[in-house]
Amino acid sequence: MSPENINFLTIVTFLPLLGAIVLLFFKDVRKIRWIALAVTVADFVISIPVLTSFDITTHHMQFVEKYTWIPTLNINYYMGVDGISALMVFLTTLIGWVCVLVSWKAIEVKVKEFMISILVMQMAMIGVFCALDFVLFYLFWEAMLIPMYLIIGVWGGKRRIYSAVKFFLYTLAGSILLLIGIIAIYYAGGKTFEIPLLMEQHYSFTFQAYCFVAFFIAFAIKVPMFPFHTWLPDAHVDAPTAGSIILAGILLKMGTYGLIRFSMPMFPDATIYFATPIIILSIVAILYGAFLALAQTDMKKLIAYSSVSHMGFVTLGLFLLNKHGIEGGVLQMFNHGITTSALFACVGIIYERTHTRDLRQYGWAAKHVPIYAVFLFIFSMASLGFPGTNGFIGEIKILFGAYDVHYAYVIFLIIGIVFGAAYVLKMYENVAFGSNLKPAPEGSGTFEDYMSHIKDINPREFLILGVFTVFVVWIGLKPTLFLDIMGASVDHLITQVNAADLTSIAAR
Amino acid sequence: MIPLTWFVALSAILFIIGISGVLLRRNLIVMLMSLELILNSVNINFVAFSYYLEDMTGQLFAIFTITIAACEVAVALGILIALVKNRRTFNADDLDTLKG
Amino acid sequence: MQELVFSIADVTAVVPEIIVGVSACLLLMVDLFVKEERKEIVGWLAILAIIFAGVGTVCLASVEARTVMAGMYVVDLYSALFKMTLYIGAIFTILLSLNYMKSEGVEYRGEYYALILFALTGMMCISSGADLLTIYLGIELMALPIYVLVGYIKKSPTSNEAAMKYVILGAFSSGILLYGVSLIYGYTGTTNLAGIAAGITASGTDSPVLTFGVLLLTVGLCFKVAGFPFHMWAPDAYEGAPTSITAFMAVGAKAAAFAGAVRIFMAALEPAFADWQAILIIVAVGSMFYGNITAITQTNIKRMLAYSSIGHAGYALLGLIAGTADGAASIIFYMFVYTFMNLGAFGVIILLRKCTGKGDMIDDYRGLAKNNRLVAVVMLIIMFSLAGIPPTAGFMGKFYIFMALIDQGMITLAVVSIVSTAIAAFFYIRIVLLMYMKEPEGEFDLVKSYSVYYVLAICIMAVIVLGVYPGAFMHLAKAAAIIM
Repeated sequence: MSPENINFLTIVTFLPLLGAIVLLFFKDVRKIRWIALAVTVADFVISIPVLTSFDITTHHMQFVEKYTWIPTLNINYYMGVDGISALMVFLTTLIGWVCVLVSWKAIEVKVKEFMISILVMQMAMIGVFCALDFVLFYLFWEAMLIPMYLIIGVWGGKRRIYSAVKFFLYTLAGSILLLIGIIAIYYAGGKTFEIPLLMEQHYSFTFQAYCFVAFFIAFAIKVPMFPFHTWLPDAHVDAPTAGSIILAGILLKMGTYGLIRFSMPMFPDATIYFATPIIILSIVAILYGAFLALAQTDMKKLIAYSSVSHMGFVTLGLFLLNKHGIEGGVLQMFNHGITTSALFACVGIIYERTHTRDLRQYGWAAKHVPIYAVFLFIFSMASLGFPGTNGFIGEIKILFGAYDVHYAYVIFLIIGIVFGAAYVLKMYENVAFGSNLKPAPEGSGTFEDYMSHIKDINPREFLILGVFTVFVVWIGLKPTLFLDIMGASVDHLITQVNAADLTSIAAR
Repeated sequence: MIPLTWFVALSAILFIIGISGVLLRRNLIVMLMSLELILNSVNINFVAFSYYLEDMTGQLFAIFTITIAACEVAVALGILIALVKNRRTFNADDLDTLKG
Repeated sequence: MQELVFSIADVTAVVPEIIVGVSACLLLMVDLFVKEERKEIVGWLAILAIIFAGVGTVCLASVEARTVMAGMYVVDLYSALFKMTLYIGAIFTILLSLNYMKSEGVEYRGEYYALILFALTGMMCISSGADLLTIYLGIELMALPIYVLVGYIKKSPTSNEAAMKYVILGAFSSGILLYGVSLIYGYTGTTNLAGIAAGITASGTDSPVLTFGVLLLTVGLCFKVAGFPFHMWAPDAYEGAPTSITAFMAVGAKAAAFAGAVRIFMAALEPAFADWQAILIIVAVGSMFYGNITAITQTNIKRMLAYSSIGHAGYALLGLIAGTADGAASIIFYMFVYTFMNLGAFGVIILLRKCTGKGDMIDDYRGLAKNNRLVAVVMLIIMFSLAGIPPTAGFMGKFYIFMALIDQGMITLAVVSIVSTAIAAFFYIRIVLLMYMKEPEGEFDLVKSYSVYYVLAICIMAVIVLGVYPGAFMHLAKAAAIIM
């Protein structure tokens, strides 16, 4: 069978679901963990050909599958990827098996339900990136809601119920707007749900503006952009480590992906019209997120706010609407998925040992757990955009892009980067080099006794962090592969946006 | 010949009396009687229309309505007896265990 | 009125109704010979009768649509689909009852099944009625046994009270409906649905007699489907009735009422569209918001489902408001889906109700997921489906209705109803939250009944399959709506 005949995307999407169904019939916790790992690794391996045999010369959708699904409503099963979504699919399958590994020991109650939730989640996430039919997209989009709600609410921390409900309500509000937008565009775009067809239509400016706002709020909640970000810190803090990784690694990308896939190409007039306000919002998010991160003492909360700041870079890059900006934004999406997931994994690892996330309780990492400290250092550097790491490439491209549009943006960005460096270094210093003779927590004897229970990372954790390190350095030193894959699609996106009817915008 | 309007007016009056009876009176027996009044106003309508339209359907309908009204009362009284045995009340306002 | 000619063809067309009706009578006699502790046999016989009727309906549906009995009765795909929904509702109700009625300590359990069959006969008459007389008779034939069934737990004051309230408001609404029918008869000179449409087209729509008749008929039908502000019987009747009968009312009676309403509005009152559309918009929007908002404050789950059913009635009415074949098809589809969702929900309630008093309150679901994972998962899927979250059937049902609305350009209405869906998610999610995220107070002692398990298994499968692949049934529904 030649590669063209294999429905790669269907297999990649639904393999996790199959795994979840298989898991239903097992009781032994050990077996459940291994099966979940096997399924996610297999999914990862199958998704590699999507990248390797990807034709980087064209912006057209590839690996396209199209079957009639609900003829009465004109809905098709229509899957396909372009350069941007191919990267995201790859990121998702990568994060998938990492999540299973991260939860290996951390999740001890209801392991079966947890693994099923993770697998269903993965199916939905891959589906979102592959769907080319709006209803199919919406189905996958909503299917993420149930498992994530359970992951936070059942296996979460102290305020899990509050956070789960908050997450649910925010996301639901976004979904409602999305559904309204989808229905509106179906009506205006010639009664079809096919995304490529809908992109070719031209809509009136008023319609574009309304739809853009509906879609934008829906996606901004997911990103999350200031001022829709308040669910994120709660959800992150209370989610289990794997939940945080999925949230930061993939879920936040859904928002920006939605902007790239729908808002920008379908509503070019409105995109240009709203670009400056969105850039300003992004700058607010960058600075505000950074300030809040600086003030945190909870390690997880610090990283959560840093996400707000980093995602601000992404949205800013996208709405610069030039090649450097968009490429930087998309690359930064991928980078953020790697770096922040790695940082959350680091938090999870240290939390499993100390049962605290309070930065002031640490300070001995460099001395007592040196390997851990090295990894944390690498990811901290990636997070602040140190040259040689992936963060640098993304941020420098966004800076180039910003300079082309307006030099004032660059000033704010630099301020954001400086604050980013400040909170990341503060975190690292607190964890690794703080005064290393802190009193041990009550009831755990002397400091030496307490420390003797804390071991450095084990091979499983080494594998997790090692994989992330590979990507950090790889993208940092040779990003061409990743930039090439998205290149044609980004170029096409820019042409689509530039097709905007500038006179109608000028008239406003 | 009596004009059709008179019949319709009579039926409308009966209908309104019936409706008001169900809504305003609190004695369950009286409420059931008011329900009968509504159905009878309907019968008057049907028969009158049938006569003026020279069409049998209306009378047919009236006969069915009379039958069903009888069934309805039989069931309602049966339920009422069960209720009175348990509650010792004929007052609709006393039926207040189910609310919210 | 056509001349009454009675032919064998007329009789074959109503074989399913005859099977169900005659079986009901026979069951009353069989019941005399069945020992008190083995009354389940009567229930199984009733199921058998319904299955035979189902086979009959399938055979008849393959034949072309035809009107029989001097234009009083119509056998078409539309009625067949609704009848299938009703059969499923009745069979599942009986399966849910087998154990439940015994545990409630009810006497006369044999008659119970016969009454369900009588009510089913009435529902079938509604879905096949081509004349206001047939539909009215069907409504009464359905309602009278249900009045009795609601009050079936004779010793329970709540059951009595629910029955009393239901019978008074039910008869009241029938009276209003009939008065409307009589006015329409006076205006058009016929009670035949097609005849009425022709009569209205011929004489115009700007007569107060017609407007008033349509108004009263609409109000009467809104009572039957429990639409705001004519819903007040529903919460009381739902709460007080035996749970299995609540399920029967929620699925059977509602589906039948919609079958009648769609037929009356689309076939007979189509020319007077403007008269009833405005009323239905008020009722639908009112039902969606009132039902969903009031449900949030409920503490009794049966009552909560009653308010949720008011909300769902609002959604289904939207299909009528669209007034197209797609609208009618979306109602058929919605009622089909709704049957499975609700039966599943009531099945779980029945499973929890072993010792008296447990299972009816929402708080009883606290921590259910801890030791009863399967039941909790079932309830989870059903709640998400009722809330209309994909990939469940509940979403597809709502989506089809929204699409039907949008095809008619009623975007505002669609947006309003989508917003009300978000409100509805609130109380369904609360149950999931209680089940999964709270610790249980005391042990759960669930009923062990295979018949209930089967019902739940089938409902869940249907909810998921119809959610993921609704194409086939939607296609049928569309075909049925076009034929009508």
